[in-house]
Amino acid sequence: MGRLSTLFGPERVAVIGATESEGSVGRAITSNLLASFDGEVLAINPNADEVLGLPCHDGIEEVDSPGTVDVAVVVVPPHIAVDAIRQSGEVGIENVVVVTAGFGETGSDGAARERELREVAEEYDLNLVGPNSLGVMSTPAGLNATFGNEMATEGDISFMSQSGAFVTAVLDWAAERDVGFKDIVSLGNKAILDEGDFVAEWGEDPETDVILGYLEDIDDGEEFIRTAREVTRDTPIVLVKSGRTDAGASAAASHTGAMAGSERAYEAGLEQAGTLRVESVQELFDYAQILSGQPLPDGEEIAIVTNAGGPGVMTTDAVGDSDLSLAEFSDETFEELRETMPDAANIYNPVDIIGDAPGERFESALETVLADENVSMAVVVACPTAVLSFEELADVVVEQQRQSGLPIATTLMGGKSVGAGREILAEAGIPQYFDPARAVGSLDALTEYRNISEREFQAPATFDVDRDRAREVLQSASRRDTNRLGVEAMALLDAYGIPTPQGAVVDSPGDAEAVAEDIGEEVVMKIVSPDILHKSDIGGVEVGVPPAEVRDTYEDLVVRARNYQSDATILGVQVQEMADLETGTETILGMNRDPQFGPLLLFGLGGIFVEVLEDTTVRVAPVSEPEARDMLDDIESAPLLKGARGREPVDEAALVETVQRLSQLVTDFPAIVELDINPLVATPDGVKAVDLQLTLDQEEL
Amino acid sequence: MTDTLLVTSTEEGIGKTAITIALAKAAQEAGKDVGYMKPKGTRLQSAVGKTRDEDPMLARELLDLDAEMHEMEPIVYSPTFISEAVRGREDPDEIRERVVENFDDLSADCDTMLVEGSDNLETGGIVDLTDADIAEALDARVLLVCGYATPGDADEMLAAADRLGDRLAGVLFNGVTESAMDELDNDVIPFLEGHGVPVFGALPRVQDLAGITIGDLARSLGADVLTSDASTDVHVERFTVGAMGGNKALDQFRRTRDAVMVSGGDRSEVQTAALEASGIKALLLTGGFRPASAVLGRAEKKNVPILLIQSDTRTTIDRVEDVLHSGRTRDTETVTRMQELLGDGVDVHSLLHLSE
Repeated sequence: MGRLSTLFGPERVAVIGATESEGSVGRAITSNLLASFDGEVLAINPNADEVLGLPCHDGIEEVDSPGTVDVAVVVVPPHIAVDAIRQSGEVGIENVVVVTAGFGETGSDGAARERELREVAEEYDLNLVGPNSLGVMSTPAGLNATFGNEMATEGDISFMSQSGAFVTAVLDWAAERDVGFKDIVSLGNKAILDEGDFVAEWGEDPETDVILGYLEDIDDGEEFIRTAREVTRDTPIVLVKSGRTDAGASAAASHTGAMAGSERAYEAGLEQAGTLRVESVQELFDYAQILSGQPLPDGEEIAIVTNAGGPGVMTTDAVGDSDLSLAEFSDETFEELRETMPDAANIYNPVDIIGDAPGERFESALETVLADENVSMAVVVACPTAVLSFEELADVVVEQQRQSGLPIATTLMGGKSVGAGREILAEAGIPQYFDPARAVGSLDALTEYRNISEREFQAPATFDVDRDRAREVLQSASRRDTNRLGVEAMALLDAYGIPTPQGAVVDSPGDAEAVAEDIGEEVVMKIVSPDILHKSDIGGVEVGVPPAEVRDTYEDLVVRARNYQSDATILGVQVQEMADLETGTETILGMNRDPQFGPLLLFGLGGIFVEVLEDTTVRVAPVSEPEARDMLDDIESAPLLKGARGREPVDEAALVETVQRLSQLVTDFPAIVELDINPLVATPDGVKAVDLQLTLDQEEL
Repeated sequence: MTDTLLVTSTEEGIGKTAITIALAKAAQEAGKDVGYMKPKGTRLQSAVGKTRDEDPMLARELLDLDAEMHEMEPIVYSPTFISEAVRGREDPDEIRERVVENFDDLSADCDTMLVEGSDNLETGGIVDLTDADIAEALDARVLLVCGYATPGDADEMLAAADRLGDRLAGVLFNGVTESAMDELDNDVIPFLEGHGVPVFGALPRVQDLAGITIGDLARSLGADVLTSDASTDVHVERFTVGAMGGNKALDQFRRTRDAVMVSGGDRSEVQTAALEASGIKALLLTGGFRPASAVLGRAEKKNVPILLIQSDTRTTIDRVEDVLHSGRTRDTETVTRMQELLGDGVDVHSLLHLSE
């Protein structure tokens, strides 16, 4: 049992701020509790003697053995809410649901109040929901500590929402559709308990089969990934994360006051956390229903059984769009279908048992295909005909699903004729849709979750690195008046074992010549200035300079940089051995620290066209070896690395290790907020980091 | 005999006022009777009553002088004055006489007289009263305050030295960044001295002098401070404009330091991004649009003040640029801090001829 089990399964609930005043939140909560809660409800209000038939107490400390109150629901006005929470803490109540609004979401005074609330909650170690929450619900105990107007029906879905209004909407909607819930929580401002806490709680709750969430931001993405990764082995998590678009992000920022964070980080982070991310409310509940009602498939192969040619084709298209594949039947299956189906039927997948099919023909066809070991799941698509009763068909599907133990989704393409069939299917947990694409989408989600639950998580490797040296390099930069560092910080990469070409940053033509002579062949020379971002655009890079011309080139580079920006800080010129671009592939390896998820690693095709081609992939660091390897395979141009068109393949192992080493570097130093190695040249003999740019958060250092 | 030191500079906003008043304070502390004058008022404020330069007002207050403002600042170098001078309606000789007369009055009982120059060495040429002309008229020694960025700046210094001739007592570098300091010390100062330009020293750039507090910025702009708990004592030195989407904006904001972020009040995603970047010390919202209250709450939590101004972003940027660029000597603390820096880096006694 989790830490929050008494929050959702209390015996005594006190409403601080209970009132009879018509239209008030305090009344709504009290009457909702009285309507269905199995346990004891206590009313607290110094200004009333009785509320809705309950005797009223002046303060929480006045009730009998106040320490045994399991949950205090706070509905008093904001200026006395923190006192009410403190008193609850003092008498020993552990769970507090703060419905009162008027905290951080309302501006300065509210923010101060929320800070106070947080301090009190931390002092008494409270499990605090909200503030600015609609409340909590839990169906087994009939607990409805919300001011919504609908109590959930019982079920095995637990649901959290960052919007209270959305909870009421969902409940209203669910009431019509046989969607039942275990626990529901409106997260409010997430001052103490946030999405991660509830995911952890429900992960341990045997009565919760599916976790749903509507989120606008995630407080601590790294922690969320850690928690969710554990939970999703057994319990699927389906999330709507709104604010995907720029306009949506702005709306979310106004609503929560938090930066929405980058969409790419969410996509990667939620993927790594093992959650199923959906984009619409419809998908949220489609996935929830099939995950709670159907077993997981053991493969991707789907069989389609239909009485209608056209819808059969539509269904096949939907399969093509998904990660599922059409099952290829065995010879025995064909044989049996040939025997049992009419000649006009199509016995190949999709199986079209034609318009005159009665329920028995569906039964026979389904039984045959579900017995085929190449079939992992099925979708039944039926249009209403005079010879088919949907009620009968529903019975057939339920029976066949039970016998086979394989997941099935149905598409009964009708309106009123679906009637009783819908109820039979719902009762058995078999989803039913009008649109075949939704049925296939749901089965696809089921398969995706199967893959997630089987994921083996490997811990990121730790390399032997020179952390002190890296810290010195970063600190030397903080003495300058900039947050930007360039190749002058190459030693940072050396310290973490990321190979760099031979070379040095020098500040006189003589030194430049000496370095070039040391290298002994043609060199690359680059201006080094934190103020000049695109060096090649201003002629700040010269490639293939013979040692004899190094002095003059030094002069040229400095003059060009000065002409471009007269007040630029010029640290000198970098003289570097030439990278082998003939056999090498230019890649980019970088990191951008996301406000929610932390370090987001980026890998892709590099060089000067990186912004045009945008062939990149991201992961939240730290990454393990398989994750780093996945990044290489993810990009469109992966074949280039593997030796397309007769080229020698690059040293992938070295590339993977470099990704891991950078992952360790950016995890070790939160002060690095942005870093790009572009290009990271990969050759058959290894990799070399040719150029570096990074941004530091000086205050973090 | 009164010793007169005129403090001039090659560019405006380099710390003339703070240095002049700090030197005056140092002389006072050494027991001297000190006077102050700024013949050409250029930093004009017309907020209260007559248009006046604010520097003499500050000097008067900090040095506890009872001289009349119009004596301390005989020329109000306003746009009107300039137009009239160009049209030939101002008489240079008469003006010069007025300056000298006022100076004589002010310096009558003083051991040390500090005269603050205006903007740069060219200012005042239209009435034959550049700082060099004034030094000549008042028989003043000249302290030339310069910034330093690159060795090429030496050209300008040599030209200025040439112009000031024998009146140049020496150069004082101010606001030198740590990265430029070595080069200045090792290469440039010896070079200047080799060319007969004496150098008194180089003062490092320090944050509390380089910037302006957010509170002062709000006052200068007439902006409302919407947050109530977030501290407005933090200094900002530059501004950045939030004109792009949230994540692009975050990259930009992270690259800057000690900055105020200017954007429209309706851009929640840009505002919240700014609150994530530690280099952004304040948000200045334009157009009179109040931010979403949740954003305001977030700002309090992050201890980053939000200022609101009615003007549009374009106009606001110009005004912020003005405030950040023009000098920032506003209070006793600035002058005290400057005095400490001078004490550490410069032989103030010999600079002010105090021992004589």
